[in-house]
Amino acid sequence: MTELVQVMIFGLLLGGVYALFASGLTVAFGVMRIVNLAHAVFIVAAAYVAFFAFDKLGIDPLLSVLFIMPLFFIAGVGLYLLLFTRIEGSPRFVEMTVLLTFGVAIMIEGLLGWRFTGIFRQATPSYLTDAFFIGDLIVPTGQFFAAMLSFVLLSGLWAFLRYTRIGYGIRATMQNRAAAQLVGVNVRRVSAISFGISAALAGASGALMSYLFPFFPFRHWQWIAILLALVVLGGMGSLKGAVIGALLLGMASSLVGNYVGIGWGPMAFYAALFGILLIRPRGLFGKEVAA
Amino acid sequence: MIEDRATADGLEPGVVEAVTAPKGPGKSRWVVAGVLLLLLLIAPLLRPYIGSYNYYILLATNVLMWITMASSWNILGGYAGYISLGHAVFLGVGGYVAAVPLYYYQVSPFFTAVVGGLAAVALGTVAGFITLRTRGPAFIISTIALLFMFLLIFENVDYLGGTAGLPLPSIPLPQDWMKAPFYYAMLLAAVGSIVLSYQVAHSKFGLGLRAIAEDETKAEVAGVPTRFYKILAFALSAFWIGFVGAMWGYSLAFVRPTLFFTVAISAQMVLMAIIGGRGTVAGPVIGAVLIYAVNEFSIVQFGSSEINIVIVGVLLVTVLLFFPFGIVGTLRQRGWLPAFLDWD
Repeated sequence: MTELVQVMIFGLLLGGVYALFASGLTVAFGVMRIVNLAHAVFIVAAAYVAFFAFDKLGIDPLLSVLFIMPLFFIAGVGLYLLLFTRIEGSPRFVEMTVLLTFGVAIMIEGLLGWRFTGIFRQATPSYLTDAFFIGDLIVPTGQFFAAMLSFVLLSGLWAFLRYTRIGYGIRATMQNRAAAQLVGVNVRRVSAISFGISAALAGASGALMSYLFPFFPFRHWQWIAILLALVVLGGMGSLKGAVIGALLLGMASSLVGNYVGIGWGPMAFYAALFGILLIRPRGLFGKEVAA
Repeated sequence: MIEDRATADGLEPGVVEAVTAPKGPGKSRWVVAGVLLLLLLIAPLLRPYIGSYNYYILLATNVLMWITMASSWNILGGYAGYISLGHAVFLGVGGYVAAVPLYYYQVSPFFTAVVGGLAAVALGTVAGFITLRTRGPAFIISTIALLFMFLLIFENVDYLGGTAGLPLPSIPLPQDWMKAPFYYAMLLAAVGSIVLSYQVAHSKFGLGLRAIAEDETKAEVAGVPTRFYKILAFALSAFWIGFVGAMWGYSLAFVRPTLFFTVAISAQMVLMAIIGGRGTVAGPVIGAVLIYAVNEFSIVQFGSSEINIVIVGVLLVTVLLFFPFGIVGTLRQRGWLPAFLDWD
C-alpha cells in the first residue's frame, strides 16, 4: 500500500512538471491553431541555456527561469512574425504549421547538435539528490521544487488569462477568432504575444528539464511525442484538459514504470492516446478539431 | 492540389492535363522511362569498367530506396493529403520481420522481404483504422505517437535484441558481387512503388483520394467511401517501405530500433515528397534524388551530419513558404514542365 502511494506521489510530481511542459503547446494551439512540433526542441534549447548558466556561472536552474523566460518570449514573438504571419489565411493553415514547425524543429536540433554535440547533459544543483520524508513517504526535493514552480507558473498563466486585458483578448481569440476580430481584438498582436508566452513557458520548462531529465539534442522527439499525446488526450487547445491529462498520465506512466518495467513507462501515453482516439477522438475536454 | 493548380490557370483539371500533356510527348515519356530502366538494369554488370564501383552502387541502391519510400509516402500524404510523420515505422517492421527469421533460423530476407511488406500492410491497416478516425493535426500527432510506441516496444523486447538490436550475417556471396542483389531488390521496389503510385493516380480510387484531400466532407457527400479509401491508402503506402526495410537491414548486417524507428527517416520522406511535388507521380522521385544528392554533398563537404540536419530543416521551411507545390507543381503552374516528367 505504501509502495502504491509512494509511486502515486512520484507520478503526481512528474505530472505537475509535464503540465508545465505541455501548457505552452496548448496555448499555441488554442490561440493560433499552431501545432508546434518545435515546442520540445525549444525546451531542450532552454535546458542548454540553464545548464550552461549553472555550469559556467553557477546560476541555480530554478532562478535562471527569470532571464530564460523573457529571452524565449522575445524569440517566440520574433519567430511568429517571421514565419506564421506569412501563412495567415492559408486554406490549410494548421497542416502548414505542423510542417513548418517540423522544419524548424529539425533546424534547431541540428544547430544544437552541431554546437553542443550529442552527449547527455544534466545540471547538478545541490537539491538534485536530496529528499525529505512525510511519514514513511519519500519526496525528492528537486522534483518537489519543480512541481511547485510549475504550479506557480500555471497559476500565474491562469490569472493572466483571467484578469488582464491581453488575457481577455487571448481567451476571446481562443473561443472564436473571427468574432474576437469583429469586436476589436488585434488578433495578430494577440497571436504574436501568445506565441511568445508559449515559448516563454517552454523556456521555464527547459530550466526544469536541465536538472530533472538528462537531455541531448535528439531527445526532443521523444518529448514531443509524449507531450502531444497528452495534449490530444486532454483535448487540443484546452488548458484545463492538458493539466488534468498531464497529472493523470504522470501517475499512469509512473505506475506502469514501477509495475511493468522502467522502460515501459511512456507506453501509458501512447496507449492512452490510441485508446482515446478509439473512444472519443476529440479528447477529454476538447472541441471537435477541423482539419 | 489539383484544384490549386487548375484554378491558378483558370482552367478545369482535365483541361490542364490536355494542355500540358499533348499526345506526342506523351509517348516520348515512355521511351525516356524505358531507356532509363534499361540503363539501371545493366549498370551493375559494367563492374570491370567503373572505378569506385562499390561506392556508386551503394549510392544508387540508397537513392532507389529513398525513391521507394518517398513515392509510397506520397500515396497517403500526397494524394489523400494525410501527412504522416510516422512512416518510418513500416521500415522498421519490415526490417525486423526479415531480420528475426534470419537471425534465429537463417532464412534469407530475399524470401521474407515480401512478408515484411505484407506485415507493414497489416500494421498500416490496423493503424489506419485507429488513427484515421481523426483529421488534420490530431492525425499527424497520432502517427508520431505510433512511431514512438513501436520504438518503445522494439527497445524493450529481449527476443528482438532490445536497444542493441540484432546482428545479422552478411550475404553469402563473393565480396565483389555482394552489393548487386540489394541493388536489384531496391530497383524492383522503386519501380514497383512508382508503378503503384501511377496506378493509384490514374484510378477511380486515386480520384477519390484527391477529392478527400480537397474537401473530405464534400467527398463523402458525393459518395466517395472516404473511410475505406483512406485506410486502403495507408495500407498500400506501407507495402514497399516494409519491403525495402527488410532489404536495408540485411544490407547493413544489423537491425537496431533507433536506426529504423526514427523521425529523421520520416522527415526525409516528407521532405523529398514535398520538395519534388506532393500528389504528383514524378515529384517524389525527383525529390528523393535531389535530397539524397544534397545530403551526400553536405556530408562530403562538411563531414558532419548535424549540418546536414540543419540544411534539411532550412530546405523544408523555405520550400513550404515559397514553393508549396514543390518542383513538379511549380513547373507545371508556369507551363515549364517537360513532358517526360508529366505522369499525372
